[in-house]
Amino acid sequence: MATKKKRTLSAQNDSWVVIAPDSVVDTQKHDSDPSFVRLRNPLTDEASLYMLGSGDVQLFEVKAFEEDFHSWFVGQTVQRDGRLLFITPMDPLYLILPYLIKSGKEGKFQPVDQVVMDEEFPACSRLLSCTHSLASLRHIAEEKEVANLKFHRYSQEKTMDWLKKKVERTVAALKKRHISVGEGVKSSTYVRVKSEPDHNEEDYLRYAHGLISEYISEDLSKDLLRHLKLPELTSPKETEPPSKKRKLSDTPVEAGEDYTKFNSADFVRKPPKKMTSAQKTLAKVDKTGMKPMSSFFSPKAKAEKK
Amino acid sequence: MSCNTSVTRVQLPPAVDQVPRVPVHLMPCEIEHDGPAQVSQYLTATTKDCKQEKTVSFRGRGLKGQELSCPQGYTGLVLKEINKPGSDQEDRTVKLTSTFDKLTYWNLETPTNSDDTVVMAMDWPELAEAIHGPVED
Repeated sequence: MATKKKRTLSAQNDSWVVIAPDSVVDTQKHDSDPSFVRLRNPLTDEASLYMLGSGDVQLFEVKAFEEDFHSWFVGQTVQRDGRLLFITPMDPLYLILPYLIKSGKEGKFQPVDQVVMDEEFPACSRLLSCTHSLASLRHIAEEKEVANLKFHRYSQEKTMDWLKKKVERTVAALKKRHISVGEGVKSSTYVRVKSEPDHNEEDYLRYAHGLISEYISEDLSKDLLRHLKLPELTSPKETEPPSKKRKLSDTPVEAGEDYTKFNSADFVRKPPKKMTSAQKTLAKVDKTGMKPMSSFFSPKAKAEKK
Repeated sequence: MSCNTSVTRVQLPPAVDQVPRVPVHLMPCEIEHDGPAQVSQYLTATTKDCKQEKTVSFRGRGLKGQELSCPQGYTGLVLKEINKPGSDQEDRTVKLTSTFDKLTYWNLETPTNSDDTVVMAMDWPELAEAIHGPVED
C-alpha cells in the first residue's frame, strides 16, 4: 500500500516549493540560468543534489525540510508534496576536498584541474569556477608556483586548521542564535523555561562538529574531533539522562543542549536511510541525497515521532 | 549512473517581479491530489485573524496558523517542471512560476509556537552561512 502511494506521488510530482537566496533569481546579474546538478557527496560518497548559480560563480546546497502528513496550497492549487526545499550558499571546498585527499596519497604536487575530475560526476570540474574556489585552496593544500602554473598538494595539517575555524564560526553562530531565540520569541503557550546559562563550551563544540561532519568523510570527522581535543563518545546515548531528554521537548531551540545527538551512531546512520525515501519520491528530478532538515532541529522532530 | 550527468536548468523570467506572488499555506495533512483547489473561497474566506494567531475550520478540524516571513535575503519560489523528458539521461527544465515572501503554516489543533519545526527551519540559512562562509586567515 505504502509503496503504491509513493509511486503515484513521484509520477505526479512536478512542482516544488523552495526558499532560495535573492541572488539566485536576480536576473540582472545573470547571463545564464542556475541549474541543479548532481555531485559526489563528501560524507556519503554518493550522488547528492546541489545547485550551481549563474556562470557557476556560486555553489548552493539543497536541503529538504520535511514533516509527515503535509501538503501545500499554492495560490489556488493544491500540491500534495509538502516538503519545503532550502537552497543555501555552500562552500565548494567541502566538495573539492575529497578529490585532493585522494590525489594527495600520491604525494605529488599536481594541477588542481587534473585532480578535480570524476567520470561519474563530470559537473565536478565546474566547482573550480566558483568565485572563491581557487583562492581558498590554500586552506587545504600546499601551493607551488612554477612558471605561472599553480600546483597543489593536500595538507592534512592545513585542512584541520581550516575545519577548526569552521567549527569556531559555527559555535559563534549557534551562540548568537541561541540568544535571539531566548529573547525575541513570540511563544505564547509555553512558559519559558529559565534560560540555561551553562551550555558549556564542549557542548557547543560537539554540536558544531556534528554540523560540519555532514560535509566531510567519517575519517576526517574523527581526525577533527581529535584536533578539537574532544574525546570520542563511545555510547553517547547513555550519557544523556532521560530526564534531560524530556525537558528538551518542552523547550524551544535552546534545547540545543542535546548537541551530543549529532555525534551518536544513530545520527550518522539516519541520513542515508532518509535519503533512500527521498530518492524514491524525488526520482523524477534527481533530487537524490537531499537530507531532511528536521534532523538539524532534532528535539521537536524526535519528540513528535514518539 | 548515467543520470548523474544530467542537469536540471532553472528557467527564470527576464524580471522576477513579472512572476505572480501567491499566498502559500503549509497544511498539516496529506492531500492526495495535485491540481486546482478553491483555496480563497473555502480556506482564506473563513479564516479568523485573532492577534497573531489565525484559526480556521478545515474539513471539520480546527486549525491554528501563523504567518512566517522568508529569512532575510531569501525569497520563496515555486518551481514547476516543463517538458518532462522521456529518460533520466536527458536534461530537465523547471520554470519559476510564482514567488512568495511569506507563508502561512497550520497546526492541527495545537497553537503555533516558536519551536514548531518549520519555524526553526527558518534558522537554517543563518547556520548555513556559518558553516559555509569563507574563513579568515
